[in-house]
Amino acid sequence: MAEQVGIVGVPPLEVIATLNREGARIFDLDEPQPQVRVPIEQSAAWVPRVYCAILRTVVLNAMLLELDRIFIDVGPGKCDAALNIAEVLDDMLAIPIHRTHNQDRIAYGFPLCTSAMPMVEKFTLISKSVQKAIPHQPREPCIPLCGFWGVPPRDFALLHLFPEQTHVFGWTRCMENKTPADLELERQFDPSLPTVFFTQTFCAKSALAHHLGRRHPQALVIDCDVSPSNSARAKIEAFLELSGVPSSAGALL
Amino acid sequence: MLLADFGTTYCKLFDTQRDTRARVVASRALEPGFQADLATGHNAARRSKRAVNELSALARGGRRLISADSFVLLDCGSRDLKFVRFAQGRVADMGWNAECGASMGFTIELLATYYQLDYAAMAVPQNGFSITCGVLGMSHIFDAVVQGSSEEEAVARFVRGIALNAHRFAGAPEEVYLSGGLCNNPLFVACLPCTVHLLGRFVLLEGLLDLLGHEKGHIQL
Repeated sequence: MAEQVGIVGVPPLEVIATLNREGARIFDLDEPQPQVRVPIEQSAAWVPRVYCAILRTVVLNAMLLELDRIFIDVGPGKCDAALNIAEVLDDMLAIPIHRTHNQDRIAYGFPLCTSAMPMVEKFTLISKSVQKAIPHQPREPCIPLCGFWGVPPRDFALLHLFPEQTHVFGWTRCMENKTPADLELERQFDPSLPTVFFTQTFCAKSALAHHLGRRHPQALVIDCDVSPSNSARAKIEAFLELSGVPSSAGALL
Repeated sequence: MLLADFGTTYCKLFDTQRDTRARVVASRALEPGFQADLATGHNAARRSKRAVNELSALARGGRRLISADSFVLLDCGSRDLKFVRFAQGRVADMGWNAECGASMGFTIELLATYYQLDYAAMAVPQNGFSITCGVLGMSHIFDAVVQGSSEEEAVARFVRGIALNAHRFAGAPEEVYLSGGLCNNPLFVACLPCTVHLLGRFVLLEGLLDLLGHEKGHIQL
């Protein structure tokens, strides 16, 4: 039976390549897993409720999936909070918790980030690409209508608000490029595109989002916790509409 | 075509064929099956054929009514706060506080009824309470009364705290265009620490008219 391995953040490519060679089944613990059907509140036994929803999801997944080991990136390519969560996982589970410091610098490119594709599908493919140590398929870049800067949201429902021709920036672009610690790439944006700067609530990256949002001429800075609130959805909808961006359905709202 | 701004406590209606003046109806007085053609507001999705995002309606209404290229429009209703900032004719920032600004307008109206106060006759207090939410802020009133303040003074400090919070939420501008039901509250308006231009409570309806391509001046504000 294949070894079941959890990953948190983007472990170094060498780790992923080894897991691929060994035929391990990889679970991205940052994302809600379909077989984990319990409320996120159950993670409160190990991690505070007022905490990054992605890391609460990591803990919840780790509690309920039967994993053989976990690779958690705790370097500059993830966040300080992951360093602390690694301690929690160590205490919680009787399996090896491998801490990695991904400093990979070989750029694999980000064709998905600049392609025309429904945003949920785009982010799903980007997240999946982390689990493979192979080059990306080339894709034709689209002419963008707007930008999304940030990490993949904990709840992809947020992404339905964006049109297919949304260019993706920030850490998501670093993920696809397989260089999660590349701050130079992470802070890039296109000033000609109306851009939503997104972070998870309680995430340290909100400082960078606010900083870049102030420098961008047409930006909306927004944070969401577990799922997007009605007001968060309305802000994004109105921002895109008033910036002249067609809705994801293809027509002006 | 019947346009509506379905607010939490009051509904603003305008029939493009029949009306020259918008009507205000208590939301609780609407028939269960009442439907508008085009609407915005909390109940728009279930009470209209087509619902429009409130921030979008606010921004469109503001752009119709305000001649300046750069301005901040703040909407203070019974349940939430919204603002839109335009810079050189383009939307530069916006916010919608439905959580921490909860029920402030509604609470202000309830307090006036309960304590039988007239906001037009109340003086602006020197200090306001440090509050962000109408519901949680009420305990400050009770505490102040227990400590010897008059009910009128305590409520005035509550209103000032709410006004300061709303002003901060909009980015603390030196000049603000105010819309929503609190335009009709002289104490609230006087407590805002900036120049205030009152637009009244039909700005979102103006936004709906804008969406339909109607010319300006349909609604007598």
